[in-house]
Amino acid sequence: MFNIIAVDISGRHKANGYYLMVCAAVAASVTADHVEKVKQINIRYFRKNSAPDVQMVVSMMEDTVSEMNFDGTVITEPGDMYNRPQWLIDSMFTMDFKYEESLSERRCMEIAHHVSLSARKLLLKELDIQ
Amino acid sequence: MKRAILVKRNDPRSEDYENELQMTELEELAGSAAYTIVAELTQTRHPDRKYQVGRGKVEELAQLVQDVHADKVIFHNPLSTMQVYNISEICRCEVIDKFQLILEIFATRATTHRSKLQVELARLEYELPKARAIISILKKEERPGFMGLGGYEDSYAQDVKNRISRIKDELKDVERDRDSLRSFRHSKGFSLVVLAGYTNAGKSTLFNLLVDESRTVRNMLFTTLVPTTRSLDVEGREVLLTDTVGFIEDLPHWMVDAFRSTLNEIFFADIVLLVVDSSEPLEKIRRKLLVSHETMWEQLQEVEIVTVFNKSDLLTEEELDERMLSLGYLAPNPVAVSSRTGFGIKSLKQEIRKHLPRWDRIQLSLPLSEEGMSMLSWLFDEGVIHGVDYSDSIDIDLEARENILNKARSFALKK
Repeated sequence: MFNIIAVDISGRHKANGYYLMVCAAVAASVTADHVEKVKQINIRYFRKNSAPDVQMVVSMMEDTVSEMNFDGTVITEPGDMYNRPQWLIDSMFTMDFKYEESLSERRCMEIAHHVSLSARKLLLKELDIQ
Repeated sequence: MKRAILVKRNDPRSEDYENELQMTELEELAGSAAYTIVAELTQTRHPDRKYQVGRGKVEELAQLVQDVHADKVIFHNPLSTMQVYNISEICRCEVIDKFQLILEIFATRATTHRSKLQVELARLEYELPKARAIISILKKEERPGFMGLGGYEDSYAQDVKNRISRIKDELKDVERDRDSLRSFRHSKGFSLVVLAGYTNAGKSTLFNLLVDESRTVRNMLFTTLVPTTRSLDVEGREVLLTDTVGFIEDLPHWMVDAFRSTLNEIFFADIVLLVVDSSEPLEKIRRKLLVSHETMWEQLQEVEIVTVFNKSDLLTEEELDERMLSLGYLAPNPVAVSSRTGFGIKSLKQEIRKHLPRWDRIQLSLPLSEEGMSMLSWLFDEGVIHGVDYSDSIDIDLEARENILNKARSFALKK
């Protein structure tokens, strides 16, 4: 069993003149092909005036993950990091990092994606932003 | 044998090791399509719009084509129609990319009517977006119609579209038969086990060993092009084992229908045996497992996966353990086997048995009559009878799926 934290960010486009992004982190213990247990989910929103670059993405993810009570390797989709090589992104993180590989990691990423997307939709609705 | 030159453009940020692996795979593919590789060229740069590689490199390539008398240039990177045209104009020989090379392999090996249709369909779908450009390049000197206002482009594209829809219709009929057969087998209670994995992992050799068959096996990519199903006895439980087409990196799997049928098999399976060639270097196995996970992941629904480390006879025990340990996060339920020596087949069957859909085990008594005997004979076919005792009644120890047990219970003597 492996402990992972799948992280995804939604909202990397301008709405109402700024970037309103929601980062979701899902801590889970997984085997190679199954998600055994989702232990915690943390959501944070970020408001930025400029489009996020890799460093900004890394710091948003670290902020979200640091609020969690569980440890694990941070997992993201390569596209979230603008398809930069893994060694480069790994060197920017203070915690263990890798891109999604196994079926269970992909499944966790899917959960993180749904959470961040839904949370952002809810936020836009609350703030009455079209 | 045709003589070919392999060309690859590497991305500036890519890793050397990955580039080497991709080149080796292209070599293997060219070998499978019966080409002799006479030279290889690589260049690290961003793609060029006109030539994919740089203009200078294309001129070097043209010189090389002349020097080594090459018949074909094979690019690893996907080429646009304009790039194919521009490069072949300079090199004066046929230029293809990896996807076309795979289509060539499929075309030469396709033997059944269905696989021929599949190859034709894949070729046409690949050609369709390029059809207009091909024709306008070929006929650029010639403008048909009054004052040259007519055009060949649309009519050719329309022809391609018509042929595609005709082939699709024909394939749909064949596919419908296969689909209904599959769901019929499932509803009859057969458990479906599928052999999947990267191409040339040894799936067909393992299939032959398991079901005692002699399907063609070769040390070559894409030996299997059509999924084949046979029945297999796994410690008393009858399952259907299917051998499928291997996966490959960077191939739009949706495009080749042969792959689509492989993915459909996986969708219906109860257990997927994910076969890997354990004799390869660790990084190579990891990449191939990654491609397999990526290809299958959309199709998998509550399927159990057993990872089969094939060709284990080529490794020492320590090497094998090390590989299984470091790939643990990508390889669920690992089992080491050797299809050549037969090592590990027993434990593989045990592993399959462990993951088969659960059957319940009950004890019941059937009347000692003609109907009771025919019921018993039916139960022998549909489930596993662990013991029979003939006394005043027929006492049996039966393991079977739920609806068979219900039928047997309704027929059993009430105690």
